[in-house]
Amino acid sequence: MADSGSERAVDARLSGFATLPWRRIILGILGATIAFVVVVGSYRTLTLPEGERFSGDFWVDQAVNGLGQGAILALIALGYTLVYGILRMINFAHGEVFMSGAFISFFFADAYQKSGLLNSRPYVALTILLVVSILASTVVAVLLERIAYRPLRNAPRLVPLITAIGAQLFIQNAFRGFFGPQPRGYPRPQILEGGIEILGIPVAKVQLLVFVTAIVSMIALQVFVNRSRTGRSMRAVAADSEIASLMGINVDRIIVITFVVGGILAGIAGLLFSLAFTQVQFTMGFRPGIAAFTAAVLGGIGSIGGAALGGFVLGLLQAVGPPLLLTGFGVPSPFSLRDAFVFLVLILVLVFRPGGLLGSGEAEKV
Amino acid sequence: MGASARAGAIAGVVTIFLAAVGLIGNFTDLNLIGTQVTFALLMIVISPVLAGYVVTSPRVEGGERVAFTLGQAASAGVVAGALAGAIFGAFVVFVDVFGVDRIRPIFLNISPTLMDYLTQDRPAIVAAAIIVAASVAAGAAGAVYRVLPDGIRKPLGSAVWVTLLFGFLQRIVPIALDQLDIERDWLYSKVTRGLTWPGAILIALVTAGISVLKARQGETLRGAIRGRGNGERRGPLTLTPLSIVLALAGLGAVLIAPHVLGSVIAEVLGTVMVFALLGIGLNIVVGYAGLLDLGYVFFFTLGAYSLALLTGATLNTFVGSTDPAVALDLNFYVAVPVVIVIAAIAGVLIGAPVLRLRGDYLALVTLGLGEMIVVLVTSPWLGPLVGGPQGMLDITNAAIGNFGFRDPKHFYYLAFAFVVLALFVSWRLANSRIGRAWTALREDEQVADAMGVSTTSYKLLAFAMGGAIGSVGGALFAVKIGSLTPASFQVLVSIQVLGIVILGGIGSLPGVIVGSLVLVGLPGLLREFEEYRLLAYGAAVVAVMLLRPQGLIPNVRRSRELHEEDREQDKWAGDVAADEHVAQGPSPLGEGAG
Repeated sequence: MADSGSERAVDARLSGFATLPWRRIILGILGATIAFVVVVGSYRTLTLPEGERFSGDFWVDQAVNGLGQGAILALIALGYTLVYGILRMINFAHGEVFMSGAFISFFFADAYQKSGLLNSRPYVALTILLVVSILASTVVAVLLERIAYRPLRNAPRLVPLITAIGAQLFIQNAFRGFFGPQPRGYPRPQILEGGIEILGIPVAKVQLLVFVTAIVSMIALQVFVNRSRTGRSMRAVAADSEIASLMGINVDRIIVITFVVGGILAGIAGLLFSLAFTQVQFTMGFRPGIAAFTAAVLGGIGSIGGAALGGFVLGLLQAVGPPLLLTGFGVPSPFSLRDAFVFLVLILVLVFRPGGLLGSGEAEKV
Repeated sequence: MGASARAGAIAGVVTIFLAAVGLIGNFTDLNLIGTQVTFALLMIVISPVLAGYVVTSPRVEGGERVAFTLGQAASAGVVAGALAGAIFGAFVVFVDVFGVDRIRPIFLNISPTLMDYLTQDRPAIVAAAIIVAASVAAGAAGAVYRVLPDGIRKPLGSAVWVTLLFGFLQRIVPIALDQLDIERDWLYSKVTRGLTWPGAILIALVTAGISVLKARQGETLRGAIRGRGNGERRGPLTLTPLSIVLALAGLGAVLIAPHVLGSVIAEVLGTVMVFALLGIGLNIVVGYAGLLDLGYVFFFTLGAYSLALLTGATLNTFVGSTDPAVALDLNFYVAVPVVIVIAAIAGVLIGAPVLRLRGDYLALVTLGLGEMIVVLVTSPWLGPLVGGPQGMLDITNAAIGNFGFRDPKHFYYLAFAFVVLALFVSWRLANSRIGRAWTALREDEQVADAMGVSTTSYKLLAFAMGGAIGSVGGALFAVKIGSLTPASFQVLVSIQVLGIVILGGIGSLPGVIVGSLVLVGLPGLLREFEEYRLLAYGAAVVAVMLLRPQGLIPNVRRSRELHEEDREQDKWAGDVAADEHVAQGPSPLGEGAG
């Protein structure tokens, strides 16, 4: 009796603890801290004494770079959002799908660089690289679905998530085993070097290519999902896969197609990323993957427009945020905290607005 | 035959994969038994063997389970093996014709060593033919093994795998024998480093003998239990004199282990125990409460760095004071409780806003936190406090009097004490009111809520407790390595610990120990495999989730749940295909979804 009595006492204390509005209190403190950092940080950064202050050009540069990166993030984010929309599952290994495209296309790029094709006929070479990158990413995405996810279609939702983490580790290290751990320099054709001015703003040619390709791909995706028969089936499965299958839609096929579309977008992103950063490595998928997922959540996961918007917004935040908010507090080299900044954004979005910018705004409980 | 061909084809592709990542070519010198059975050979035949084994799993026809006859099994195995061999053989011929030198710049593990090993100076086509023959034999062996009567199959199986295990333990067993001054050349050759053939045969025979004896004993035990009837139950711990003696002997073995096995192994065992501690902590979060935490490295790092700050004088220099009052310089045993409190508070602060999120979101937020703390300890911003990329030096050695614990042999005992303590706490928690609340929460949050379990506070409690144990793991780790660098605190630590919990069996304490021995101990002892450790982790996590979601050593209650379901289904519709059943049985993670 004594034992269960003391247990009850513990329980009573626990529930007493729980009756305090802890969540509200902590959220309030968190919100106030963020507001303080944002307001005071940017004020102090922008009013730094002349000479220490960043120039206007610096901010424009940051914004352009941020939008370029945001375009790549948006392309990867679309893969997360599509799969999430249909399977209600976070495809954790999607970053590795992106990495596969970039890495495999490297070998072709390298060969074309050596044979001179990359500079003598850059459009042909880039087209081939794009096709290779898309193929590699798509193959990995489809294999992933077939081997790691399909057998777990009806399992509790955390099971495929754990499998996805395992798959991510596996794909990464398989690439390491195949091709070695060292980073490789990705050649860039000469026509993409240098920059041009648009409306008086200097833009690197690569950034322009990234931006235009990403926008075109997104429009194509939008048309595919909204106008084609397959796209309609995809939306039907996303709305209710059981009813969709009763209506004669082959749900398995639609899921595979979703992974294919995600793979294609990731492949495009892989090539663009390699051209922009001119380096590939087996670990390159992890951080962009997480950042892209953050973008998808930021925009409202499950929504295509949201993922695109989230990508651009996050790209901008990532490029402008750390110097703007942290320099004022005298934090040295704020750029080294860029990745931490991404995670902070992810956490804050999930805490304050789990539905995302374009989502319903309802806290998705349980 | 279609299924056999498919399995064979997959096996062939898998073997090519193994060759391409270097698991064959880099291990042609790793002799397991004699010079004939190398790790490379094992890698070549393992896929066909498994293919043969898989395709002969009993079929379900009209609700009845039909086993293959010997002839059917053999032919299915031959088909699978032949196809696997043909595919891999074709790969060998292709590489030979195309030229290793032209493939190597891309696939750097398709090396001349690999080709030399595969062809053995024969023309490629002959080598391919030999590979096909070996594959056919392997496939047939796997298939025939499946249909052997239990009395032969079990002893044979354990003889094979125990012998191979001893082959793998060629770094440990000889050292232990040397330390004990036991002549060992008859067992492990000094030239090949692997088992000698007489030694291997002896081990196989002994294992088979033990297996036969155990089977007989099991038969009598089972008879006795049946005689007692179904209503009666055994208590959780029946103390017989034999079990006490065995337990004491086990404890004694554990206690003298570092002295018998030497520093190298004691060092590895120390790491195993740090990870076991982390596993025990994460097991509370993931196993008991069903919250997927992918950022467990957060608590690990927090524990290590806060211990370093509390016990060192760094805080002093950071504040810029020479006044001793600012130097914390705490004793290790005073600092650890403080670290635990810090971690628990951090757990509550982090948990409060995010624990209401759905499971997969929680996973991502925690992953983000884990990554964030790594970025933070590396960043120049916190550099003055925690040393940035250089890290922190001169961590306390947790000395009691003059007895320091930095030495691996000494650290072993410190870690052992903490592991035992954590095991005890965790075991008592699981069976308490709190543990039952966690179980309810995990199985169905809404029902638990309706039953009056305050879900948020119990989730917070689990998160904080898991975090506290994880931080102790971090503190111990700091003592063990003596100087902290951010390189030791990567997100991968979280994944490793999760792998340990999953492989061992989610929610199972013995599983955590076995999981850390397998996933941390084995790679620690087989340094050659360092490069492939993470590949193996990934494969293991996926395989466990697909094939055996309850883990190696399942939680008793959960496995009982699985078996109860078995019986009900038997009553309802006769037998169910075993494979389907595992995939759809109650998952160890419970229905975390709403």
